[in-house]
Amino acid sequence: MNIANLSISEISNLYKNKELKPSEVYKEVFTNASLSESIIHAHLKLFQDEATEASKLSDERYAKGNPLSDIDGIPIAIKDNINLKNHETTCSSKMLSNYVSPYDATVITKLRNNGVVFTGKTNLDEFAMGSSTENSAFGPTKNPWNPEHVPGGSSGGSAAVVSVGSAIASLGSDTGGSIRQPASFCGVVGFKPTYGTVSRYGLVAFASSLDQIGPITNSVEDAKILYNSIKGHDPLDATSIKESTVEIPTDKNAKIGVIKELMEEGISDESKKEVEKTIKLLEENGNKVVEVSLPLTKMALSIYYLIAPAECSANLSRFDGVRYGIREAGATSYEMMENTRAEGFGEEVKKRILLGTYALSAGYYDAYYGQALKARSAITKDFENIFKEVDYLISPTTPTPAFKFGEKTENPLEMYMSDLCTIPANLAGIPAISIPTGLSKEDMPLSIQLMSPARTDSSLLEFSETIEKLLGFNQRTLLLEDMK
Amino acid sequence: MNMVPTIGIETHVELNTNSKMFCKCAVVETENPNESLCPTCLGLPGALPVPNLKAIESITMLALSANCAITKNGMFHRKNYFYPDLPKNYQISQFDLPVGVDGSIEIILNETKEIVEIERVHMEEDTGKSIHKGSGRIDSATSTLLDFNRSGVPLVEIVTKPVIKSSKEAVSYIEELRQLVIDLKISEGKLEKGNLRFDANISVAQEGDNELGVKVEIKNMNSLRSLEKAIDYEIKRQTKLIESNEVIIQETRHWDEDKEVTSSMRSKEGSADYRYFSDPDLPNMILSDEFIDNIKKTIPILPSEKRDKLSETGLSISESNYLSKSEEWIYDLFLKTQKITNDTKSTFNLITGELQGQLRKAGTEELPEWFTSERLSEIIKMINENKISFTSGKEILTNLIKNEIIPTKYAEDNNLIQDNDSDEIAKIVQNVIESNKEVVERIKDGEEKLVGFLVGQIIKSSKGNINPSIAKDLLLKEL
Ligand SMILES: [Zn+2]
Repeated sequence: MNIANLSISEISNLYKNKELKPSEVYKEVFTNASLSESIIHAHLKLFQDEATEASKLSDERYAKGNPLSDIDGIPIAIKDNINLKNHETTCSSKMLSNYVSPYDATVITKLRNNGVVFTGKTNLDEFAMGSSTENSAFGPTKNPWNPEHVPGGSSGGSAAVVSVGSAIASLGSDTGGSIRQPASFCGVVGFKPTYGTVSRYGLVAFASSLDQIGPITNSVEDAKILYNSIKGHDPLDATSIKESTVEIPTDKNAKIGVIKELMEEGISDESKKEVEKTIKLLEENGNKVVEVSLPLTKMALSIYYLIAPAECSANLSRFDGVRYGIREAGATSYEMMENTRAEGFGEEVKKRILLGTYALSAGYYDAYYGQALKARSAITKDFENIFKEVDYLISPTTPTPAFKFGEKTENPLEMYMSDLCTIPANLAGIPAISIPTGLSKEDMPLSIQLMSPARTDSSLLEFSETIEKLLGFNQRTLLLEDMK
Repeated sequence: MNMVPTIGIETHVELNTNSKMFCKCAVVETENPNESLCPTCLGLPGALPVPNLKAIESITMLALSANCAITKNGMFHRKNYFYPDLPKNYQISQFDLPVGVDGSIEIILNETKEIVEIERVHMEEDTGKSIHKGSGRIDSATSTLLDFNRSGVPLVEIVTKPVIKSSKEAVSYIEELRQLVIDLKISEGKLEKGNLRFDANISVAQEGDNELGVKVEIKNMNSLRSLEKAIDYEIKRQTKLIESNEVIIQETRHWDEDKEVTSSMRSKEGSADYRYFSDPDLPNMILSDEFIDNIKKTIPILPSEKRDKLSETGLSISESNYLSKSEEWIYDLFLKTQKITNDTKSTFNLITGELQGQLRKAGTEELPEWFTSERLSEIIKMINENKISFTSGKEILTNLIKNEIIPTKYAEDNNLIQDNDSDEIAKIVQNVIESNKEVVERIKDGEEKLVGFLVGQIIKSSKGNINPSIAKDLLLKEL
């Protein structure tokens, strides 16, 4: 039995039946981590002692028949832009290389109260800005399917650890596709919930109006379980929404729209084929599939690259060397702040801060940021209208399968294009999931993305389970099999 | 040529909420630095702001009381600038959709009412405090200590239109605003504690010019005295420059309290482009009609309304103004007492003169509960009816502050009732004249001040039971 391939509910049942202990599962995932880390570098930190201790406490709870929840004793990895008390939160930045958080993010509090075992913190593009983890100040993460390929980003570490089995599941954050794109590249499930359903308190902000924490898992069911344990209104997050779930059809009556603009040029044939394959399965299942047009999705990238940098330019102002993080000396306090920021931030982060500062500057605001806000509401409206006709929207998650290291670093626009299909859901605040569908010619994972109206997260997850079953794809990376 | 100054004032009012604007930290008064902090008000990575409802109620109340139009769908903006005591390096403030716009506040200047137009009333958070060592300013300090206790404390900024014409008017405006926030119970309103902090924008132009002169902002005025002095200084400085055909630079100047001059301040960040944009961490500030109506119901009587009520008793505008800016109980005591005595002048004089004076001396600001308007009226009536002397009235008043007495009974028990029988007094007057012939001669020779001496002798002989004014009248008649 390969424990790391088991689902959360399977593990949970084995725990309850006393056929398996949390400490055994943790030992297994830790072994996987120790074998894989030197190749893929997915964790920035492994909490071996603490996790061992936590898993033993979980053992005791199961022994007494008092587990805290259905995810008690499940080893979960956390993206290193989510605060865990008394641990470093580096955001893969030199700026925060020495920063230890004095508090838990709300999602961490919830998982902690549920008895989860935290395996460690995972690698990301610096401050979640990037699509390949090549922007990490601590070195890139490699794709477990082929270490010559990127794992995607920015939650590349979180996707890779699940893919390779060094955690049963993980948390990532998604601002323009940072959960779904790496999940797709690494052949796992990635779910970005409706904006506001999961508290952002304790998530280091990149672009506050777009950021959302979500699960990366081996299966849709696992994503559902993890999502249900982290969601909910949080009085510490003013943008968190009070629960009011909207239900839409999840059976044969569910109507699916194929977004025409995300099946045109710029999308590889391989990626399109996966969507077509899924459509065929859905039609066989009795679902109605129609082509729909969302012309503004072609502008999504431009809108995103004004709004996200503008917000990040203010969000990252607090990193100035005054109160925490690294500090570079200077003759005056202003010089100190300048030197610290020059030294602490990487190139991509600086580029976006400059872009955002420019877009918000007097004389340019109306032309750039102001226009982007208008276009964003127009896209949101378009989605609302299209969802009057269909229940779900389908597209590829990414235009291509995982690319090779260095392939796109010289051409930022091409790198940005890899988020083409995922960005619209962030702009509209709607839920979206990436489901693995098959492998490319080069044996790299491929996925489809499913989107649905705001607050229909539960329906989306339920319907995704159906699609996952129809696809029947459950291949995993053989990286560790080769090593063992 | 005649120069006309135009002044606009920006005031920051620190609200008296229990907790800070965007976190649950207590607002503390302590010398110990960095005691009341959390991830949010310290700007730690990942922390988020949640608005304080009480503060929003307070600002809405102030905006309504200043006759502003309320922005029902407002929002918070980020104001971006770098400064070490601003933890996020942006301040959560309001930009184009402030809580209140286009208001007015009535102020009193001598015996006239003036209206100061208000441009906007908006909500923001305070910064921390910088303590610069080795210099008063950050650029030249050897080190700077930071205290974030104040970081995130709710502030309301009230900006007037450029309509104020003199330093006196500016002072009167601040006095009025201070009273307003005290009466609304939304701020302690203590200038010495920095509850109200003000900056002034001053320009000078030639009379008849349609355009305003170049605007200069003055900062660091910590008291009404420095506000008045700084404005006067700045008006003089700018007038001189204009008269000698020199250029006035648009800039921020610092009021030097010791030297009593303004001096040029280096600006914070070159040219100030604050890159305002709506704060994505905060939803729009929706103020429903129901919310606004509920706030309206809780607004107490305003200083201007108090003045109107006081004026009805016959008080002058300045007297009404004085009482409208006194403690609530003094205002109440005056109105109730005046209603009983129906003597506005005596009531006003006794309360604002003798009573306030005695309390000040006693170092107390409160009256005992037995000190009712009825008892005070008894004293006033007895004085007015010449039943007791003013001196005796003072004595009774002093006692009434200390002990639960009934003034009329006290006057009787202590032989304070005056003898107003003229025949009886006439006898005493005669006796005094007889035994002070020398003095009488000197009075006749022109030493009029000695009349007082004889009146004193008369009162002494009567053991204080004689009404001094009657005694004096009779004495002068005899002489
Ligand atoms: Zn706080």
